[in-house]
Amino acid sequence: MKSLKKRYLRDNLMKVFLVGNTIVVLTPLIIILLYVFIQGIGAINIDLFTQELGSPSRAMTGRPTGLVHTIIGTFVVDILALIIAVPFGLGAGIMLSEYPDNKLNPIMRVMNDTLNGMPAVLKGLLAWALVVKPMGSFSGLSGGVALAFVMLPIIARSTESSLMNIPWSIREAGLAIGLPRWRVIMSIVIPASKSGLATGLLIAFARAAGEAAPLMFTSFGNNYKSSTLIGWIMGPVDTLPQRLYSLAISPYAQWHQLGWAAGILLLSFVILSFIIVRIVIREKNY
Amino acid sequence: MKLVTKFIVLALMLTVLFGANLQAQRRVELLGAGASFPAPLMTAMADEYRDITNRRVTINYQSIGSGGGIRQFSEQTIMFGMTEAFLSDEVMRNIERNTGGKAFNLPITLADVVVTYNIPNIEKGLIFDGPLLADIFLGKITRWNDRRISALNPGVRLPRLPLQVVHRSDGSGTTNLWTSYLSKVSKEWETNVGFATSVNWPTGVGANGNEGVAGIVASTPGAIGYNSFSYALLNDMSYGYLKNSSDNIIPPSFDATSAAANIELPEDTRILFTDTPNPIGYPAAGFAWMLCYENMEQNNSINSKQQAEELIRFIIWAINEGQQLSEQLGYAKLPTAAVERSNAMIRQMKWRGEPIGRNILDNE
Repeated sequence: MKSLKKRYLRDNLMKVFLVGNTIVVLTPLIIILLYVFIQGIGAINIDLFTQELGSPSRAMTGRPTGLVHTIIGTFVVDILALIIAVPFGLGAGIMLSEYPDNKLNPIMRVMNDTLNGMPAVLKGLLAWALVVKPMGSFSGLSGGVALAFVMLPIIARSTESSLMNIPWSIREAGLAIGLPRWRVIMSIVIPASKSGLATGLLIAFARAAGEAAPLMFTSFGNNYKSSTLIGWIMGPVDTLPQRLYSLAISPYAQWHQLGWAAGILLLSFVILSFIIVRIVIREKNY
Repeated sequence: MKLVTKFIVLALMLTVLFGANLQAQRRVELLGAGASFPAPLMTAMADEYRDITNRRVTINYQSIGSGGGIRQFSEQTIMFGMTEAFLSDEVMRNIERNTGGKAFNLPITLADVVVTYNIPNIEKGLIFDGPLLADIFLGKITRWNDRRISALNPGVRLPRLPLQVVHRSDGSGTTNLWTSYLSKVSKEWETNVGFATSVNWPTGVGANGNEGVAGIVASTPGAIGYNSFSYALLNDMSYGYLKNSSDNIIPPSFDATSAAANIELPEDTRILFTDTPNPIGYPAAGFAWMLCYENMEQNNSINSKQQAEELIRFIIWAINEGQQLSEQLGYAKLPTAAVERSNAMIRQMKWRGEPIGRNILDNE
C-alpha cells in the first residue's frame, strides 16, 4: 500500500501532464488566431464593410476599397449550401442510425466515406458540370451546391453517431404508446439529440466555410456587389476564402493587407456562428 | 422539427425577397475571365466604365489564367475570354463548327517581357541580344563574366558569379511570349525546346507566377529570370535592355512595345510579333486578346441582346478611351493598326443575324 503522499504526488503529476498537453494543443490555435489578428487589424476599418473591392489600382492609389460584396456573398453561398445539404445529410444520417437493417446502408456508408475523402476541388468540378455548364453562367447557387457536397458526408456521419447515442429503450417507449416510427424519430430521437446534431452541422459548416478550391469554378468571384438581388444566386459572387486566396497571391502590398483582414473576417464569421448556435441550443434545453 | 421549419421559413423569405426584385432592372453585368497579366488593367477599366455609365454597366473580370480563359470561353460559361496566346486553328475550327460563326481575337492591350536579374552592384540596363539569351536559358553560359556578356557590355565590371536561370513553373502567357522570342532568335531553341505556355526547360529552377520568379531572383545573387515589364517596374527589379532584329538597343518602354505591334497585322490579328521587324520596336512583346463570338447569341452565357450590345460598347470603349488608363498602370497603348483590325471584327458581330456591331459603330 502506497502512502497518501505518494498518491497525491501521482495525482498532481497527472494533472500537470494533462494541463501541459492541453496547452500544447491550444498553442498553435492561439498563435494562428493572434498572428492573423495582429497582421490584419490594421486593415480593419469602416470601408472594409461598406465598399466594394474594384481594381487593384483603387487600393494602390488609396481610394476606398473593401469587401462588402465578399461578406454578403459568403453568407449567400454558405446559407444556400446549408439549405441543400441539411435535408439530405440529416436524411442519410437518420437512415443509417434508425433503419440499421436496410440493405442500402452498407453501400451508403462506403459512398459517404468516399465523398468525405474526395478532394474538395473535385466537388467543385462536379458542381461545375451539374450547375454551371447547363446554366451557362457561374453562380452563387453552384457554389452552394459545391459546398453542399463538402457538408453532406460530415452531416450524415455526425447525425448518425449522435442519434446512435440515444438509448434504444427511449425509442421503444415511444413505439409502446403507439407512435409510428417516423413520429418517434421526429418527436423523440431528434429533439433528444439536438445538441449533438447542431454540433455536427456546425463542424460541417465551419469546414465548408473555409473551402476555397470548390468555389473557384462555381461561385467564381466578383469584384462588385451583384446589381440585382437574384444575381446573388444566379450570378457570380465573391466568397471570403476564395477572395482571401486571390488577395494573398496578388503582387500588391495593399491587397496582402486586405487579405489578412479577410482572414480575420472569415475566422470571426466561423467563431461567431459557433457561439450563436451554442447560445440558441442552450436556451432551448428544457 | 423546429430546425426544419426554420429553414423552410428562411427559404420562403428568400424567395419572396428575390421575387420582388425580378422586375428587370436596366442594369447589366458582363462576366469575363482569363489571363492574369491584363487583369489589373481590365479591372481598372471596369471601375472607370462603371463610373462613367453611372453604375449601370458592371464588368466582372476574374483572373484565372490564359488557359482557363480559353477553356471557359469555349465552354460558354463567360461572356468574353482573355488570353495572352491566341486561339489555335483547331479551337477556331471547333468554335466555327459549333456556333456557325467565327471566334474573334481582339487585341486589348500589349504584353512585354523583360529579362530580370540580380547581380550585386549592377542596376538595370545590362544589354542582351537574342542569341545570347537563348544560350543562357539553354544552360550554355554559366558565369556572369562570360566573354559574350562582357562583349555586349563594355565598361561594366561583371563578377565571376554563377548564372542561375529562373523560369515559371506554371503555364503562363509570359512564358509563351518569352519562349516565342527565344525560338525566333535561336534555331537551337526552336528545335529543342520550342514555345508554349509551359515548356521543358533545359536548365534552371521553376517558380510559380510572376511573384515566384521575382522572389527567387531577388533572393539569389546571380539569378536571371523573366517577368512582365509592369511587374518588374512595380517591384523595382533590375531589368536588361534588348538588342532587336535591326541591331538597335531597346530599353523596355511603353512606346517601344507599342511600336513593336505597329506592323502589318493579319486580319484576325493572330500573330506573334516577337523579334519585331519594326526598328524601334521592343522585341519581346505581344498582344493580350479579348475573345468574342461572331454570333453572340450562340454564347450560352449571354442571355439578351442588351447584354451583347453593352459588351460591344464596352469593347469599343476599352480599345479607344480606355487605353488612356494603360500607362499609369504599366501597360503600353494599342497601336492604331490593332484598333483598326478590332473595329473590322466588331463590325461583324451579330445577334441572331442582326449586325449589332456595325449598328453601334456607325450610329454612336
